Amino acid sequence: MHRTTLGALALAMPLAVAAAPESYTLDSTHSFPYFAVDHFGVSTLWGRFDKTSGKFTIDRDAKKASVELTVETASLSTGHDGKGGGGRTRDEHLRSADFFNVAEFPRMTFKASDVKFNGDSPAEVNGQLTLLGVSRPLTLKIERWTCKDNPFNKKPMCGGNASGSIKRSDFGMKYLLQAVGDDVRLQVVLEGYKD
Amino acid sequence: MRELLQNPVVQSSALPFLVGLVAAAVLFPLRLAGLAAAAGFAAAVFAIGNFGFEPLTATRKIVVLGGAAALLGALADLAFRPTRFTGMVLGGLSGGAALWAFASILSQKSPLDVTMLGASLVVFTAWLVAATVALHDDPVRAGAAGLGLGLGAGFASVLGASALLGQYGMALGAASGGFLLLVMVLGARVAAGTTLTLTVSLLASLIAAGAMLLAQLHPVTLAALALVPVAVRLPLPRAVGWMQAVVACVYAFVAAGGALAVAWLSARGWKL
Repeated sequence: MHRTTLGALALAMPLAVAAAPESYTLDSTHSFPYFAVDHFGVSTLWGRFDKTSGKFTIDRDAKKASVELTVETASLSTGHDGKGGGGRTRDEHLRSADFFNVAEFPRMTFKASDVKFNGDSPAEVNGQLTLLGVSRPLTLKIERWTCKDNPFNKKPMCGGNASGSIKRSDFGMKYLLQAVGDDVRLQVVLEGYKD
Repeated sequence: MRELLQNPVVQSSALPFLVGLVAAAVLFPLRLAGLAAAAGFAAAVFAIGNFGFEPLTATRKIVVLGGAAALLGALADLAFRPTRFTGMVLGGLSGGAALWAFASILSQKSPLDVTMLGASLVVFTAWLVAATVALHDDPVRAGAAGLGLGLGAGFASVLGASALLGQYGMALGAASGGFLLLVMVLGARVAAGTTLTLTVSLLASLIAAGAMLLAQLHPVTLAALALVPVAVRLPLPRAVGWMQAVVACVYAFVAAGGALAVAWLSARGWKL
């Protein structure tokens, strides 16, 4: 009996090692934060940041995870980018000090180590969003999460979609609140490869 | 009323004009009519509602420096009679203030860029302040310079993709317009002093520099704007006060118009 237990422990050792915290690096070509904001109370304008980098770790055994994202604010795009030579554009305005102030605050970060799990998958991430030099709590609900091997290069990967919301005025972005909504919805699309 | 004050056009034109006019009318017996520019500008900042001390961004530092300039100018007017060296001293101080305002942006640049950009900022701000403060004892030219600098920096900022700095500049111009209207009615009894000239020149230079560093305003725009205090020195007709003010405004608008032309062309993709 004693020998059987020892044997079972010996067999489980590699599995225990496999369940240790795993570290992933973001695939910047498949990871984008999107934002949606009310415009004049008429429609919802969507935009995204094209350059995002970062890492996340997952320990499924201990139900722990962490994430660190860095977003280049100058990579903002709402589809009106000024390449037509027809005067200044919405993207240039959004990059100015009126809104994202990218010259003064070129990066926005999200850091979290408080992650709630639903089974083996992370379900809610509570962290700090730093924008315009101001840090405020942000909760992202994970709506979809999958870990599997990339079907082409067979590398282990994890990814999913998360959503949350902020008030831009909480970060000191108060200009034109009467015209451009205070509530900003966030949708984050993430994919990362195991280190 | 609240809805009216939320209108950007009211915030940056009618409101600062009226506040500037009333402030000039109330304070001119104390030789502090020059506070009209700061009062009108402050009213616009309050109505726009973007101001706060945390975080103290470059745009917010511009507002803080505008208030400090008004206080320093009033102190200079009350404590001693400004001489021709006053402009140079205040110009030097203003150059240093510009470096402080934009330190967070300069600190992210390479040493070469910091040197070039920092030196350009100091020279531009120091020149604009020194040249405008030199008009302190001529309320007609000082008021016209304030109008031209404010509107020039404001409209140029809008063309440079910053509506907020645009509103600030236009408000400064409108407040200077309120001051100038009183000068047109009452004549040279309404003193501009260092109070008005330092406030309008420092704020206009910082607004234009901010639109260049924080948005897309072309640097040549600033060079054109620097001609405003020179343009208002052109000869004025021997006529009644209001006619002199109109002509001085035309001079200021021609120089400011040059700045706007540069800003407009660069916004349309022209290479300068």
